[in-house]
Amino acid sequence: MTPALITVEQVRKTYSLGRTTVEALRGVDLRISGGEFVAITGPSGSGKSTLMHIIGCLDSPTSGAYWLDGQEVSRLRGTALARTRNRKVGFVFQNFNLLPRLDIVENVALPLRYRGGIRRRERHARAEAVLARLGLGERLRHKPDELSGGERQRVAIARSLVNDPAILLADEPTGNLDSKTSAEIMRVLRELHAAGHTLVIVTHDANVAAEAQRRIHIRDGRVANGEP
Amino acid sequence: MNLFEAIAAGLDEAREHRGRTILSLIGLTLGTASIVSTLALFGGSSQRTQDFLNEVGGAATVIVRNEWTGRVQLSPREAASPRLTFRDAEDLRDEAPSLRYISAARNWELLYEGPRHQFIGEVVGTLPAYMAINSIAPRRGRYLTELDIRERASVVVLGSSFADSLFGSTDLAIGRDLTIGGERFTVVGVLEPEYFSFAAWEGNAFEYRNLRAYIPLSTALKRFASDDQIGWLTLEALTPAAIVQAEKEVETVLLRRHRVRDFNFDRQSTDVQEGQRFMNLFNAIFLIVGIVSLFTGGIVITNILLSSVVERIREIGVRLALGASAFDIFAHFLVQSLVITALGGLAGTLLGTLLTTTVQAVMQLPAHVTPPIFLAGIGTATFVGLVAGLFPALRAARLDPVEALHYG
Repeated sequence: MTPALITVEQVRKTYSLGRTTVEALRGVDLRISGGEFVAITGPSGSGKSTLMHIIGCLDSPTSGAYWLDGQEVSRLRGTALARTRNRKVGFVFQNFNLLPRLDIVENVALPLRYRGGIRRRERHARAEAVLARLGLGERLRHKPDELSGGERQRVAIARSLVNDPAILLADEPTGNLDSKTSAEIMRVLRELHAAGHTLVIVTHDANVAAEAQRRIHIRDGRVANGEP
Repeated sequence: MNLFEAIAAGLDEAREHRGRTILSLIGLTLGTASIVSTLALFGGSSQRTQDFLNEVGGAATVIVRNEWTGRVQLSPREAASPRLTFRDAEDLRDEAPSLRYISAARNWELLYEGPRHQFIGEVVGTLPAYMAINSIAPRRGRYLTELDIRERASVVVLGSSFADSLFGSTDLAIGRDLTIGGERFTVVGVLEPEYFSFAAWEGNAFEYRNLRAYIPLSTALKRFASDDQIGWLTLEALTPAAIVQAEKEVETVLLRRHRVRDFNFDRQSTDVQEGQRFMNLFNAIFLIVGIVSLFTGGIVITNILLSSVVERIREIGVRLALGASAFDIFAHFLVQSLVITALGGLAGTLLGTLLTTTVQAVMQLPAHVTPPIFLAGIGTATFVGLVAGLFPALRAARLDPVEALHYG
C-alpha cells in the first residue's frame, strides 16, 4: 500500500453552543493515499462538513491526530495552519467563491499572493498557464460575473490548482450547476485525477459520488462503511 | 502581498465606494485643515513676536526702574537712597562684565518751539548706547556721541514725526535750532521713522518712538534737573543666557550704592509674552476644534470600516481559505484605512494651506505653511487612520475561517 497522504486518527470535534455541547465528530479514522479519488458522503448534520474543514486545515480537531503530507496538522494553529492550508490544500466550493472585483487572473493568482515571495508578474504568468490548461485562456481579463456557472467553477478549479497543492478539496462542486455543466466539471475533475492529483469530494449527490474510486460514508460523526 | 498592492487595493476600495469615502473623510479633512492653519498662524505670530523682541533689544535686554512703594512714609534707608542716578550707570560700566551695553535715560514733557509749530512733547536724555540697544538709526545726520555727553552739548536728535511737525521735513531740520523747555538745541540728526505692527488692524507699535527727541543725558540733567537722578537704565547682556548673571552683577552694584532694594528689573521678553498670550488662546481654540474634528472623523472612519468588514465577511472567509493569515487580513484593512485617511490628510492639508493663504491676505497676518507643517498635517491624519483602522482590522483578522466562509 502506498504511504498515506492523509491520515485521520480518532478525530473528535465538539462545539459548545451556550450550555449544550454538540459532538460533530466522534472519533473518525481514515486514510487517503496520494493519487486517490475519494468521495465523502453523508446526510446533512452527519459531520461531513466538519470533517472537510479539518482535512482542509480550516479548523482544528478537539482531539485526535491529523496528518497531511507528512505533517501533523492537528498541532498547528493560526499562521502555521494558514500557511499549510495555502500550500497543501486547494479548495473548490459549491458557490465558486470568486472575488467579484478581481478579474479571473487575479482571482486565480490569489493563493500565490498569500504564499508570498513571488513577483506579481510571475504570479500572473502561472495563473494564466493554469487557466489555459482549463480552456479559459481567452477570458483572462474578464470579471467573474461575466462568465457562465461552468466557466466560473473552472476558474475556481484553476485557483485551487495554482499552488500545486497536495489535495484538491471540493465541496459539492456541482451543487449550483445544471446537469450538463455538472458533467463538464466532473470530466475536468476526472482528468485531474488521471493526471495524478489527489481528489477529495464532499457531496450528497449519488451520481457525483459514483465517479469516485472510493466512497467514505459519514453518519452521526463516525465513518459508517467501516473501511478506513 | 506587498505594500504596493495593498495600497492599490485600498484605493480601489475608496473609488468603488466614492460617496461613502468622501463622507467618512469630511471630519478628518476639516480637522486636518484646522490644525494646519493653526500651526501656520501660530508659527507666523511667534516669528513676529521674535522680530519685535529683536527690534526692542532682544531677549538679552533688561530695564532697571526705580521701585515706587506707594507709601508716603519712607523708611530711613529708603529716604537716604540716592535712587537710580547717572553715577550708577558709570559704575556699572566698570563692574558688570556680563553687560554689553549700558544706557541710562530720563524723560521730561517739555515745550518744543520750532519754526512751524510748538507743542508739548517728550524729550529723552540718554546715552549713545541707547541707539545700539534699541536698534534705532539716524535717517539723516548722526546720533548722540560720547563727546556730546562729555561736553554737555546742546544737540538734539529728533524722532521723524517731530522733525516733520517742527520743520516740515527731515532735510529742513538738520543743522537748525529749536528750543526745548526754553533751552536752545541744534538738530544734529533725525531718526528713521519706525514702524512695527503685529497685525494689520493694530496700529504702529513704535509710533511713540517717532514722537520724541533725544538729547545727551548730561545736558538734560544740567538744564532740566537739580539732581542726577535718572528714570531708568536700559541694559543689554552679552547673550540672552547671560541675563541672569548680568542682573546679579547689577544688583550687587546698585545695592551697595542704594543700601536698599528700591529698584526692579523688567525684562522685555516678559512684556511681549503677555501680548502673545491672547494669540495663543486664539490658536488653542482652533487647535481644540481641529482635534475634536479629527476625533469625530476618526470615529466615523472606524464605523464605516466596521460596516465594510461586515459586508465582506464572506470574502474574508474565502481569502482565509486560500491561505491568507490573520495578519494578511489585518494588514489589508489597516492599509485600506491608512490609504483613505492619507488622502483625507492630503486634502485637509491643501485646504488648510488655502485657508492660511486667505487669512494671510485678508487679515495681513504673517503665516506660512512650512514643509514640517505640511508633513504634520498628513502625518496627523494618517495617525488617525492608524488608530481608527485598528479595531476594524483586528475584528476582520479574528474572524474564524469556517464561520466567515459560511456567513450569510
